Amino acid sequence: MDVFKSRLPAFFSLALLILFCAAGPFLWPASPTRLNPDLALAPPMWTHPVGTDELGRDELARLMRGGRETLEVAIPATVLAFVLGVAYGLLAGFAPAFPSRLLMRVLDALLALPTLVVLLCGASVLPLTEVSVCVLIGVTGWFGLARLVRGEMVALRQREFVHAAWQLGAGPLHMARVHFLPNMVALLAANGVFLLGDSVLSLSALSFLGLGVSPPAASWGSMLQSGILLVDIGAWWLILPPGLLIAAALFGAASLGGGMAREAAR
Amino acid sequence: MIATPALALTRVCVALPRGGRLVPVVEDVSLSVAPGEILAIVGESGSGKTTLALAIPRLLPPGAVVTGDIELAGQKLGAMPARSLREFCGAKVGVVFQDPWAALNPTMSVGAQIAEGIRLHLGASRRAGWMRAVELLDEVGIDDARARAADYPHMFSGGMRQRVMISAALACGPDLLIADEPTSGLDAALREQILELLARLRRERRLAVLLISHDISLMARHSDRAAVFYAGRCVEIGGAAEVMRAPLHRYTVALLRASPRVGVAPPAAIPGTMPEPESFVPGCRFAPRCAHAAPPCDAVTPALGEMAGHLSTCVFPCVDGAIVQSAGATLPRPAGRELLRVSKLSVWYRHGWGGGAARAAVRDVSFTLAAGECLGVVGASGSGKTSLARAVLQQVAHDGRVVLEGCDLASLRGRAGRAARRRMQLVFQAPAASLDPVQSVGAAIGEALLLGGWRDARARRDRAAALLAQVGLADSLLDRSPSTLSGGQAQRVAIARALAAEPVLLVLDEPTASLDVSTAAGLLALLRDLAGRHGLGYIVITHDLAVASVLAHRLALMRDGRVVEIGETAQMLRDIVGSTSFSPLDRPMDA
Repeated sequence: MDVFKSRLPAFFSLALLILFCAAGPFLWPASPTRLNPDLALAPPMWTHPVGTDELGRDELARLMRGGRETLEVAIPATVLAFVLGVAYGLLAGFAPAFPSRLLMRVLDALLALPTLVVLLCGASVLPLTEVSVCVLIGVTGWFGLARLVRGEMVALRQREFVHAAWQLGAGPLHMARVHFLPNMVALLAANGVFLLGDSVLSLSALSFLGLGVSPPAASWGSMLQSGILLVDIGAWWLILPPGLLIAAALFGAASLGGGMAREAAR
Repeated sequence: MIATPALALTRVCVALPRGGRLVPVVEDVSLSVAPGEILAIVGESGSGKTTLALAIPRLLPPGAVVTGDIELAGQKLGAMPARSLREFCGAKVGVVFQDPWAALNPTMSVGAQIAEGIRLHLGASRRAGWMRAVELLDEVGIDDARARAADYPHMFSGGMRQRVMISAALACGPDLLIADEPTSGLDAALREQILELLARLRRERRLAVLLISHDISLMARHSDRAAVFYAGRCVEIGGAAEVMRAPLHRYTVALLRASPRVGVAPPAAIPGTMPEPESFVPGCRFAPRCAHAAPPCDAVTPALGEMAGHLSTCVFPCVDGAIVQSAGATLPRPAGRELLRVSKLSVWYRHGWGGGAARAAVRDVSFTLAAGECLGVVGASGSGKTSLARAVLQQVAHDGRVVLEGCDLASLRGRAGRAARRRMQLVFQAPAASLDPVQSVGAAIGEALLLGGWRDARARRDRAAALLAQVGLADSLLDRSPSTLSGGQAQRVAIARALAAEPVLLVLDEPTASLDVSTAAGLLALLRDLAGRHGLGYIVITHDLAVASVLAHRLALMRDGRVVEIGETAQMLRDIVGSTSFSPLDRPMDA
């Protein structure tokens, strides 16, 4: 696909990130949990390329494990948000004029909510497990996609092949499966990638505020937070690497998704 | 008196880059247009007529190669440096495109757009440019030009927008106006008005006009001379009336016979298709499709030769005239059982939110249709034809009753409603848009079958192939994507899909409007044939009386949402064409 050519840096950074998280532990056998109080807060050196944290754990191994934790929550959350967004969008697209308008006003209200505040409220009420955090991020992440899907449907509904299928006696499920969804594949793919970036950001924000997955499991966000606490003693290797990894994930998702969206608009 | 021609082309060839190499799209064209003369260039799509027109003001895509001499007002364009060439052409040539909507900037008032050209080319001040723009708008017949110059393009109707385009083309006082299909998006009455405007302008300004169109009969009435193009060559040129009355080239004859016209034998399709520029061969390019072709035709590249007052390249020119008259050749109305009864049908469109003012698109329309019968619904654009069809098909909310085969459609819900919907199928004006771009041809027809309960994929595919054969297409098309089909093929696929639902009623919305003349003739023949074989009822919506007269047993004339007259086709044609009681806006005609 041309997208991969035009967005080569984005594609590479995402591919490297996933490789880093998935295959890293095999290439770098150090344990992310083994304590070594003699070597606490060591700056980067040959045996610990990214240094160690305040408990002497190897930071590189922790970044790999943290990335896995992050993706393990962010990817299911993205899938959940994706399914919810598409379903709501299709429902609003198929509904008759009045219910459709009502659904859209509800969506407007949801879109107006500041996501972080909703996440914080949810996280302060729910017990924090991987599943609950995942559901929380999924349930708060789909509003924008629903709006896009409904807009695309409104545009497609004017097309003559849709009239033709209706005249052939097609029901809503058939229309969605055969005509609407296949004609929005490019839009859906692009926004799926955007959603992944959003989920990583939401999870990182939650973890940074101490509301993510609970210790000893670490995500990039919680690593960033514990690093910030030690900023006074100049342990930059505990702050910069997780921050850069989050930034790389967001950049990769935004740029690749943008490339796909542009491709779709052609 | 031999004045300097406004435009003189000598042995002009144009080659365009396509797929990495140059292909000859226009070959060896020599013609001239005198000041105050309208020359029509007539041809089907792919004949090279638009490419030639764009070559004159150098508007071709980069990489195009133009050879031969183009002389504009006595000046050879080939000798000019690129920069002054652009300025010279900008001032001397005005161009009007088919789609004024695409050519006008929606964010600028029309006055500002016209003034912009005047300021760029003539160096006028802002104020003088604006005043000139107002004068030009007035000249092309925009009422209250002073006020309307400040309006934006979307505030003008289609016909008015085309007038704005023409005034913009006239802004710098050109010697030559190139109008590329200036009327094809307009209905018949507006078409006549625009062509009359062009005729007036060339009289008053001694403007040379190059009028490009696919519609030979329309052009013949509004031009002084006509040049017929086929596959990149000018095959015949002469006085417009002369070319119409006594065409020489066999292609011109075939084109005239393929054009549906009122009071003339049904159109005859031209077998085969026009060759692509990639596969041009020496000799007469029409020879493979010509019934009169003989060995010399594909051997020598023919030159224009004079005969009977005009020029043609035909080796065996036609000498016996083209047109087979057949007055009142209306089809007898079949006396079948009643298929459809529409009574007191009205459609309301509401504007704005909630209870805004409602406008009736269709008012109190009643008619019946027998099995095997074809009703032509004719009228100007905006008269409610399409709304009527959509209401009959239950696609829009309506008042009144639509009874199909004795069953009131409004009373049907759910499964029964869906089954009833399948009994009525629809064929659209734009064939490409009526096929889902992500479905192959086989999938599109298969979908229609699947929804009708054909569960077995193998059986669906066989049936789809059989349906394609019925509409005259090969089953090799089954795996093709719609974007690779020609307009005529796509329209046939759309008909095959409609037939797959085994309908009793087929609604055709301008079925031939976007097709070339020879393709359209083939499609009309197919529709006549299908009606006879399946006993289908047709409702044909068209603004083209000639098309209606080919298919319809009865005609219904619509105006402002009402059916103002309904009757036998022959009688209606006499009334509409002959009577003066119909205002020009009612005359959806092309007689």
